[in-house]
Parts: sequence; C-alpha cells; structure tokens
Amino acid sequence: MLAYDFKWSILWADPYGSWMLEGIWVTIKLGVICWFIALFLGTLIGTLRVTPWKLSRLFATGYTELFRDIPLLVQLFFWYFAAPRILPHSWEMYLYRGIPNSEFWIVVVGLSLYTSSRIAEHIRAGMQSISDDQYNAALSTGFTQFQTYRYVIIPYAIRLVIPPLTTECLTVFKNTSLAMTVAVLETTFMSQQIEAYTFHGIEATTGACVVYMIITLTVVMIMGLVEKRLAVPGLITRR
Amino acid sequence: MIEIKNVSKWFGDFRVLENVSETIEKGQVVVICGPSGAGKSMLCKCLNGLEPFQEGDIVVDGISLADPSTDLIKLRQKMGMVFQRFELYPHMKILENITIAPIKVKKMSQADAEKKAFELLERVGIPEQAKKYPGNLSGGQQQRVAIARALAMEPEIMLFDEPTSALDPEMIKEVLDVMINLAKSGMTMVVVTHEMGFAREVADEIIFMEKGSIVERGTDVSFFKNPKSERTKEFLDKILLV
Ligand SMILES: Nc1ncnc2c1ncn2[C@@H]1O[C@H](COP(=O)(O)OP(=O)(O)OP(=O)(O)O)[C@@H](O)[C@H]1O
Ligand SMILES: [Mg+2]
Repeated sequence: MLAYDFKWSILWADPYGSWMLEGIWVTIKLGVICWFIALFLGTLIGTLRVTPWKLSRLFATGYTELFRDIPLLVQLFFWYFAAPRILPHSWEMYLYRGIPNSEFWIVVVGLSLYTSSRIAEHIRAGMQSISDDQYNAALSTGFTQFQTYRYVIIPYAIRLVIPPLTTECLTVFKNTSLAMTVAVLETTFMSQQIEAYTFHGIEATTGACVVYMIITLTVVMIMGLVEKRLAVPGLITRR
Repeated sequence: MIEIKNVSKWFGDFRVLENVSETIEKGQVVVICGPSGAGKSMLCKCLNGLEPFQEGDIVVDGISLADPSTDLIKLRQKMGMVFQRFELYPHMKILENITIAPIKVKKMSQADAEKKAFELLERVGIPEQAKKYPGNLSGGQQQRVAIARALAMEPEIMLFDEPTSALDPEMIKEVLDVMINLAKSGMTMVVVTHEMGFAREVADEIIFMEKGSIVERGTDVSFFKNPKSERTKEFLDKILLV
C-alpha cells in the first residue's frame, strides 16, 4: 500500500455524501422498526412459554427454536428468494411491483422474527426467576391470568432483563447491515457503493464503522436512560 | 363459612394432603401449625383455589371449589392472602400496590381506591410510606403493606401463610399486632404460624398438621394444656422453648 492517497472528502462530497446520509437513514429506520416489532413479539412469545397452557407453550417453543436456530443470513435469503415463490403468482408480482421497497419490508420480517426469538428467551428467563408466590399473590387479589401477566409479571420481568435487552438492541442495529445482501440501500451497502465508484475503500468502510459506532453508542445511552427510568429499589440498580 | 371435606391431594405418588376436614365459622380464627413439609401452605393455596386437589371438596360461602365451573376469580375476591415473603410488586409504589386490584378488578375509581388505601395504611400504621417502593421498606413494613393490599379487596376471609417467619424478631410484633386487631375486629382468619403467643390470644381453634393430615386439634386451652398425641407434645415443647 504504497502512497495511498487518502481522500476523506469522498464521504461528504457530492453525490457520495447524500448516499451516505440515505444509507444512515435506512439503517436507523430498519433498526428502530425491527426493534419495536421484535420487543412486542418477543415479550408475547416469552410469556407464552411460561403460561400454564401446554398448547401455547408448545407453539412458543417451536417459534423460538425455529427462528433462533437458523443463521440470520439464511433466514433473510429465505424471506427474499424463497418465500415470495410460495405465494400465488399475482401476490408475488404485487410484492415486487406494488410495494415500493419490498426488499426493505422483507428484511423487517426476517430481522424482527429472528430478534424476537432471542428476546423471548430473555423474557422467559426473567419470568422464571420470579417466585411462584408472586404469581399467587397477584392471583389472590382477584386478578385474572392475563391481568397478572399484564400488571405484575411482564413489567417485573422486563426490569430484570434490561441488561441483556440492551445487548439485543445493539445487535439489531448491527444486524441491519446484512440487509445489503438483499439490496437494501443501507449504510453498509452505500459505503460499498462509494468504494466501487471511488476506489477509496479505506475511507468508505471507516466511514461506515464510525456511523455504526455513533448509532450503537446512542442506543447504549438511550437504554441507559430507560434503565434509570425503570429502576426501582431492591431490583437491579444502575451504578 | 369455610367447610373443608375430606380433601386429599397428590403429586404423583406423593400425598401432600390426606383426608383433611375442618369447619370454620364466620369470625373464627384458626391457627395451623406443624413441621416443615406438613402441607400447611398447600392447604392455604387449595383454600384460595391456587392449587387444585383430587379428592374431597372445599365449600366457601356455599361455593364449591371442587366444581370445575366455579369462578375462581370471584372466589378469590372473598379471600385475601398474605405470604411468607410479602410478595409486594417491586415495581409499584406502596400506594399502587394497594390500589391496583380495586381499580382493575373492582373497577373502583382511582380517587376512591387511594382514599381507601390511605385508610388501610393508617390502620396498619404506616401512612407515611405510601410514596415509597417496597424495596425501601423494612420487612415488617412490607408485610403490613401486604396485609393492607389484601384488605383493599374487602375480603371476608384472610389467609396468612407464615406471615412472620421471614422477619427479624423486633418486627414480628408490629405485624402480629395488626393481625390481632384484625382478629378482634371479627375477621375470619386462617393463619399458618408458630407464634403461639398469637394463637393463645386470638385463636378459636388450633390445628396441628403432619405429613398432610390433621393429627390434633383443640381450642387453645385444651391444645396447650393436654395435647393428646406424643408428637404434638414434642413439637409444642420445641416451639414453645424458643
Ligand atoms: N409442585 C410440587 N411437586 C411435588 N411436591 C410438592 C410440590 N409443592 C409442594 N410439594 C411438597 O408438598 C409438601 C407440602 O408442602 P407445603 O409447602 O405445603 O409444606 P409446609 O407445611 O407449608 O412447610 P413449610 O413449613 O416448610 O412451609 C412438601 O413435602 C413439598 O415438598
Ligand atoms: Mg409453607
């Protein structure tokens, strides 16, 4: 690497700067949407795994294992290349032609399902660490099973598992980079494209690294605030 | 008020309750004692419909628990329960711990529920703790909140499962005082405890359980003065010594 001519300005020069910004915007959108869907589904599935009903436990266990055990990249390929083929032809055409950015939404499906299975495991672990008598105490006041989970067990369990949830949240944002493999124009894709146009790979990938660092540090900060908000005496406390 | 008729319960081959029968009248206080593993907690949970049983029946106020069509949610509203480890909701402030069930189950307005909660906190002697979290209270205070939480649903019966055995000695009295007042106000109570001072003062009947069955019962005087079985005598000697 003799006399490599650094040219950092490619990161903001026209048109590359706006490519980068578009990429960042897509990464953030993808991460945020997937995170909230995954949190909702994960909490639901994690709860179903500890309920007293066999059928719901069976379903939730199947769900968790299915989406947790297959590599994310393979799942994305499945949703992108295989799943649409299974649909009736007219639906498949609608998916590709009728929905703008269909590849974006396909990644939303894949990444949300994958992440939700991991969140479900954390939620389940949190719930299993809550004593039986805590459930009994809530039931003894006249709560239904649903109310017991809704008002007592889920809010309690989420507080217990905030540290691993923070890690999951970071992982979602990092995993959005796999979306480039199905042509979603997110940060990684854009940095690769800049590299292809300018032959300035070092600057382009370094730029992507910095972008991910900033995004993940922001996530850590926000989750820290959430943890502080939710912190209650006697449970895990943030030091 | 409560009629327990030949209740038996198994876990696989292991019998946790064996032909337990007992009648509790309105306003009576029944104390249950016995060694660890005797099935005392299990009996309390069966009374509240938290655990099913295989044989016999429990009838509360004319409602049969053996009947699968019984609405357990309704039944539990008649009964408050207090646990050994308090089991307050750690993420809710004291006031919310007490008001949540009246608001969500009885559809009481927040203002009414809070008014009631303050009355109850007054009654158990800690109105100044309303805005704190359970983690900031001592064990004795937490257990008094747990009693207030149960009373907030205006139950006709209160079940206590070793309410003072997780407490330091100096806090036991503050909880027992609340329970004694409750007993004297005419509440029907089933209390699992080894606090024989409490039993002497307010119990109408004392039951000694072992290996899932009731081996001895008596009014307080007969129970302490001349226990019929050798096993009861031994047990009483042990717990009265400490
Ligand atoms: N889910 C379960 N499966 C199998 N056995 C159980 C289960 N729950 C309780 N038991 C057994 O039932 C018996 C009675 O338990 P229980 O908790 O009622 O005892 P206890 O009289 O309350 O004792 P302690 O004073 O220790 O609280 C015990 O031997 C216990 O091991
Ligand atoms: Mg017990």
